[in-house]
Amino acid sequence: MRRAGATVVMAMRSLLSAGGRSALTSLGILIGIAAVVVVTALGTGARQNVADQIQSLGQNLIFVFYQPVAKSGARGVRGGGGGLSDRDARAIAREAPAVEESSVYSDVRTQVVSEVGNARVQIVGADVNYFRVRGFRVAQGREFTESEQQTKAKVALIGQTAIDKLFPGLDPVGRYLRIGKHPYRVIGTLQPKGQSPFEDQDDRIIMPIGSWRARVAPTRGDRVQLVLVTAKSAHQIPAATRQIDAILRQRRGFVEGEEPDFRIRTQDEFQRSQDAIFGILTALLIGVATISLFVGGVGVMNIMLVSVTERTREIGIRMAIGARPADIQLQFLVEAVTITLFGGVMGTALAVGVIELLKAQLGWSMALSPSAVGVALVTSLVVGVTFGFWPARRAATLDPIEALRHE
Amino acid sequence: MAELIRLRDVSKDYASGPEIVRALRNVDLDVGAGELVAVVGASGSGKSTLMNILGCLDRPTSGSYHLAEVDVTRRAADERALVRNRMIGFVFQGFNLLARTTALDNVELPLVYRGVGRSERKRRAARALEAVGLSDRVLHTPAQLSGGQQQRVAIARALVTSPPLLLADEPTGNLDTKTSYDVLAVLQSLAREHGITVLIVTHEPEIAACTERIITVRDGRIERDERVDSPRDARQLALELGAS
Repeated sequence: MRRAGATVVMAMRSLLSAGGRSALTSLGILIGIAAVVVVTALGTGARQNVADQIQSLGQNLIFVFYQPVAKSGARGVRGGGGGLSDRDARAIAREAPAVEESSVYSDVRTQVVSEVGNARVQIVGADVNYFRVRGFRVAQGREFTESEQQTKAKVALIGQTAIDKLFPGLDPVGRYLRIGKHPYRVIGTLQPKGQSPFEDQDDRIIMPIGSWRARVAPTRGDRVQLVLVTAKSAHQIPAATRQIDAILRQRRGFVEGEEPDFRIRTQDEFQRSQDAIFGILTALLIGVATISLFVGGVGVMNIMLVSVTERTREIGIRMAIGARPADIQLQFLVEAVTITLFGGVMGTALAVGVIELLKAQLGWSMALSPSAVGVALVTSLVVGVTFGFWPARRAATLDPIEALRHE
Repeated sequence: MAELIRLRDVSKDYASGPEIVRALRNVDLDVGAGELVAVVGASGSGKSTLMNILGCLDRPTSGSYHLAEVDVTRRAADERALVRNRMIGFVFQGFNLLARTTALDNVELPLVYRGVGRSERKRRAARALEAVGLSDRVLHTPAQLSGGQQQRVAIARALVTSPPLLLADEPTGNLDTKTSYDVLAVLQSLAREHGITVLIVTHEPEIAACTERIITVRDGRIERDERVDSPRDARQLALELGAS
């Protein structure tokens, strides 16, 4: 143990005496480790960010889209002649036991004029359930009422981004905005909800679906673009999905196994598909970073081999005065591991700096996990042992007589 | 007198391409404790091979080697390292000190491989340097020392483990005459006063004349093995040279 300790000290000394070379050699590892840590943090951060965004859509949410069947033939006869409707939404809420509530949604992006400006904003038509289903809260004023929905009243609620565009610095409640030739009274503002995976959720104006269909985007009957459903709980989502599917198939005349004209997606599925994308992306980037780590490791091996050749005589001297092959091997292995570990520590430090910089300057969401740091350090250790082994072995198996004769 | 070295019928073959070169042929040799011996011979005579075998750096092809009554003929690399560390000190023509390493650190190196603790190492290394008259050069690196001083550091390194055998391969080859006698005087005193067996490989008759016994190697055999009736005193010779 003592001689091992002393051997480590000697390894450190010989590294320090060739300080410039040791530092340069560890640079390869430093960059590799920094790349791995930064990329991991980026992946973790992005994944977390998207998870938050998906969560911000609402809770236990199920989306039902209208998606016309691509095949020619029976279209128009079945499927109620087109999109989903208010009645579909009501039927789901009524008949599916696992469903808590349903809501309808249609949108269009169009020009809106206020007393002080105009801008293109997402105009959403929805029913009274929409606010609960999607988790929108009123900041000031109030939601529209059931009777306003039935009478197609010209009232609207407005999100923060839309306020910034149309009523900068003003209190919009009670003011009017104009869409096409119709004025609407702003009856409430929405609490900011932030980015969803699809859009800025605050860049919108919400009005009763009847008003939307009558004036903003004239629509036949009670058609809607989207039916939003909430399940009673997270683990009832699969049951709710099955029930919705059955109800809509029956209403729209599709038998079991036939491809229907609607699609059901859950929040979970969004989450999973996003996770899969980020998983692939992260794996790809880590692959690239690993290659740079490998190149760094080869660099360490190269320098260690040069070092063994240069110090052949020193190795011979050490052997002559009683160093065992294992002592020589340990010394060179410690030198290699010290180089890579130094690179690992500095690389991690660099990565922390880069992460903080990107967060502060570019507002990227990155999350550095302690386990990533641990993995980075263990990796640099493993790289040192792996790429240091062969040179160390070569040093240890030198013939002392040959080594002493070496010039 | 107890024999420190006993070689019996030792031969050493080397493969040189398709041929086998016999570097040593059936050598018998006994050296007692405290003897000061010169090994002389032309290059290619086999004296280097003989010294490598005596130093446990190499193994004989046949025959046996007993060092201090222990059979060390065919030991594995680890055990030979142990024998070298415990029993043998080496002094080389080119000094072979570690560069950019202080005299003290050079001298304590064999103790590191013996597993001696740090403070004990420092103490014994300092004492060995004192014994060769270099107490005031402890923290100098080889580059800051003269040739004679470097060779004395090398001797201190060879002695620090108190080995019974010291092998010196052309120890004065890189030194001027006066310094050569200085170094030789140290080796003489080791044999006479400390009972250490010292073998010196040399090709200089003046150096050999300072030893008690001259072994001449030729064509892989010991050709002559003669006593020196009145070895010359190296210290005296050095003083004379210093005076002139």
